[in-house]
Amino acid sequence: MKRTVAIVEDEPAIRDNYAAAFTREGYVVRTYANRALAMTAFASRLPDLAVIDISLEEEPEGGFELCRQLRALSAELPIIFLTARDSDLDAVSGLRLGADDFLTKDLSLAHLIARVNALFRRVDALRRPLEATQVVRRGALTVDAERMQVEWEGQVVLLSLTEFWIVYALARHPGHVKNRQQLMDAANVVLDDNTITSHVKRIRRKFQSIDPRFDAVQTVYGMGYRWVE
Amino acid sequence: MSLRFKLLLLGLATLVLPWAGCRYAREMESALREGEQNSLAAVAQSIASSLQGRRDLLYREPTAPSADAAGSSDAADRTPSQPPDAKPTPYDLRPILLPTAPYLDGYADEWPDDKAAWRYYAKGEHRFGILSGVYERMLYVLLEVRDDHLVFDAPGASPLDPSTFGDRVWLGFQGPDGHEHQVFIAATGPGSVTGRRIETGEYGQLTAVNETRITGALQPTAQGYRVELRIPLSMLGQRFGVLIDDRDHRGADPISYGMLRSDDLHTAGRLIVGSPDLTSYLKQFIQPGLRLSVAEPEGRLLAQADALRVVRVLGPERGILAQLYRRFVDRPGTRSIIDSSAPIYDREHQDVIGTLEVSQTEDRWLTLRDRALTRMLNLTLGISAVAVILILIFAARLAMRLSRLRAASESALTREGLVTTFPETDSTDELGDVARGFSTLLGRLNEYTGYLRTLAGKLAHEIRTPLTIVRSSLENLESEGVSSPASIYLERARQGSERLNAILVAMGAASRVEEAISNAERTRFDLVPVIASAVDSYRIAFPSRAFAIEIPQEVVGIDGAPDLIVQMLDKLVDNAVDFSPAGATITVRLRTMPESAVIEVENPGPPLPPLTRDHLFESLWQSRTDSDSRPHFGLGLYIVRLIAEFHRGEASATSLPGDTGARFTVRLAR
Repeated sequence: MKRTVAIVEDEPAIRDNYAAAFTREGYVVRTYANRALAMTAFASRLPDLAVIDISLEEEPEGGFELCRQLRALSAELPIIFLTARDSDLDAVSGLRLGADDFLTKDLSLAHLIARVNALFRRVDALRRPLEATQVVRRGALTVDAERMQVEWEGQVVLLSLTEFWIVYALARHPGHVKNRQQLMDAANVVLDDNTITSHVKRIRRKFQSIDPRFDAVQTVYGMGYRWVE
Repeated sequence: MSLRFKLLLLGLATLVLPWAGCRYAREMESALREGEQNSLAAVAQSIASSLQGRRDLLYREPTAPSADAAGSSDAADRTPSQPPDAKPTPYDLRPILLPTAPYLDGYADEWPDDKAAWRYYAKGEHRFGILSGVYERMLYVLLEVRDDHLVFDAPGASPLDPSTFGDRVWLGFQGPDGHEHQVFIAATGPGSVTGRRIETGEYGQLTAVNETRITGALQPTAQGYRVELRIPLSMLGQRFGVLIDDRDHRGADPISYGMLRSDDLHTAGRLIVGSPDLTSYLKQFIQPGLRLSVAEPEGRLLAQADALRVVRVLGPERGILAQLYRRFVDRPGTRSIIDSSAPIYDREHQDVIGTLEVSQTEDRWLTLRDRALTRMLNLTLGISAVAVILILIFAARLAMRLSRLRAASESALTREGLVTTFPETDSTDELGDVARGFSTLLGRLNEYTGYLRTLAGKLAHEIRTPLTIVRSSLENLESEGVSSPASIYLERARQGSERLNAILVAMGAASRVEEAISNAERTRFDLVPVIASAVDSYRIAFPSRAFAIEIPQEVVGIDGAPDLIVQMLDKLVDNAVDFSPAGATITVRLRTMPESAVIEVENPGPPLPPLTRDHLFESLWQSRTDSDSRPHFGLGLYIVRLIAEFHRGEASATSLPGDTGARFTVRLAR
């Protein structure tokens, strides 16, 4: 069964280009120009994944509102924010509202599709019964690459897709310094240095909410980060 | 010329007030003087009127018959009582007014040195001079006789024995009753002499009687002898004369010459002298500070009552201030005495018999003037001083406000940022208008600068959407499969859009850093390992440059964000690499100061253009002239500044000594 991807984007050219790319990948694509149209459609039928622009026509923050409403309809629906904005604040707000990833429009279509595929994979993996495949264990850390899920001292750490890939890249080779570029490549994302830094900060905060003594992600100034056991 | 000085000059202009006061005082003074002159003239006129026709007082002439009889025959008979304006003879004696009584010692020391008053009489080789004067009620006579042989009378001999006669001085005069009298002076030696009169006794015998009222002294001189005599004026009438009997030896026939007829010793000339009562008469009009004098029409003084130097009881007490002012007010050469004269008439104003002169010292009206002058000058000088002080205070205040305004406007343009609070904007005057104008201007400038600062970020955001359209279209086109010649163009278009994207990232960098800074958390950390590891990474990142590091051994802890510090260092090193030749050594140094930590990055290369130094750390400023492929928006050093300011520090740049390169310094508060 073909998966349905909803694209909510007010810029027709971008919307149509994205739609064409997803269609080419074999997804069923539905496009909406604003929040009202999207919500009307979602009310009758939910897509399998939603790609949402933050500013929608008249509403500069319409995407956030849409995300909140969509999350209310379904807790599991993967949501990706796609925006021309690159402000850190936007990313934080979006992720706090329950989005699974936050991407800028700099991202190439190939990367975008890779992200979408990865998200579907995670959704599928989470639905499957637990198998001990491709699990990396580093002390208190358990990384399940298949389900894209991370546990610390047995508790699940809720990471976004980008954050998961950063943790995975670091934890696979403890002690090795990964520079920002390597981390970006691992996360299939083009981000500037500051965004990487704030991602790392967020990762630390999420682990520290479980274990306040967490300091496994270490900054090597001028170079990058490494995982220490 | 400063504003203060200009206003001070303006204040000094009020000194025109005292100047005008002085002028006014002078005007007042001359008006006073004129009034005083008039009243003095009135005084002179009235005294002169009271003396009208008083020849008895002026010339000791009997008045009664001559004034009203007017008979010409009678007048012809009365030769002795000729009026003084009758034809003068060479034998007239006009005594001067003596200031003091001469001491009768035969010396002329006490006599005034008045050459014109001397009269001389001569006969052949013989000659004598006579000087006469009046003091109070006495007539004084000084005789200088030239005589080759001074012959004294024989002592002890009878004064009437002609064989014992020596040199003699005869005085002939009319008494007040008109009878002629003769008195002779015969000395037996130098010293005091007394007049002698020859009297005819009851039986015809002659005796020489001492006339003790006439006394004097005789002294020999180099040329002859000198005789000083005193005769009471009460003895004397209208006529007077002196005759010298010069003998070469005792008993010889004398050579007689002088002012008397030598045959009968009768008087030939008149004694023209004022009455002693004239002085008393004048004295009744006298007041302190006044001098009254009566003179002949020819100008010779007859009598004088002088109280000019008498200090007035209510005289002026001139204060120091008044004396000081006086020096400025008084014109040089101003007379301090005013005088007035009036003629004294006789015979129904037909002729002038004398002149009355009244003199007055200034101090009579000086007091009044001094008081007014002092008061006025005090007032005007006080006003001037107050005006000058007020103007000075005003000027000082104005200058202070202006300099505050200037300081504020200067600091407003420093790169530390624009001031929002401007002084003086609450003032209601023109300076307040200027300040408000400045404030508005700076506010606009601030808005504009803010707009410029965020422009790059906004622009990046706005361009991103069309760029995304281009890129996603290109990617779709690629997936559609194009012919190989077309794919070359596709690839170029893709590369172009990548570059455009890189530009967008660079443009948005500053606003992202600003955002990162606003979200950054401060922690306490050690700068040394942060810098050391960063420099290690630069060695890898820039293999074409060498890096020298100078860091202290101890822990250099600061409050801040290590990520930001590294980012700042990235920008500085990036800059140093760009401006240094390949193979150059870039020095990164950390120094500690008591209150701050100082990071320095030095690179050899071109020095900083001096004019750009102040702008280096501003947004969108760049002095790069090369054109490399990487986009530059002059944001690198602006980011350095933002991060430095986040750490309560500052960034600056200098050229290295000798212009061998550049040094960027960041001071961070510890």
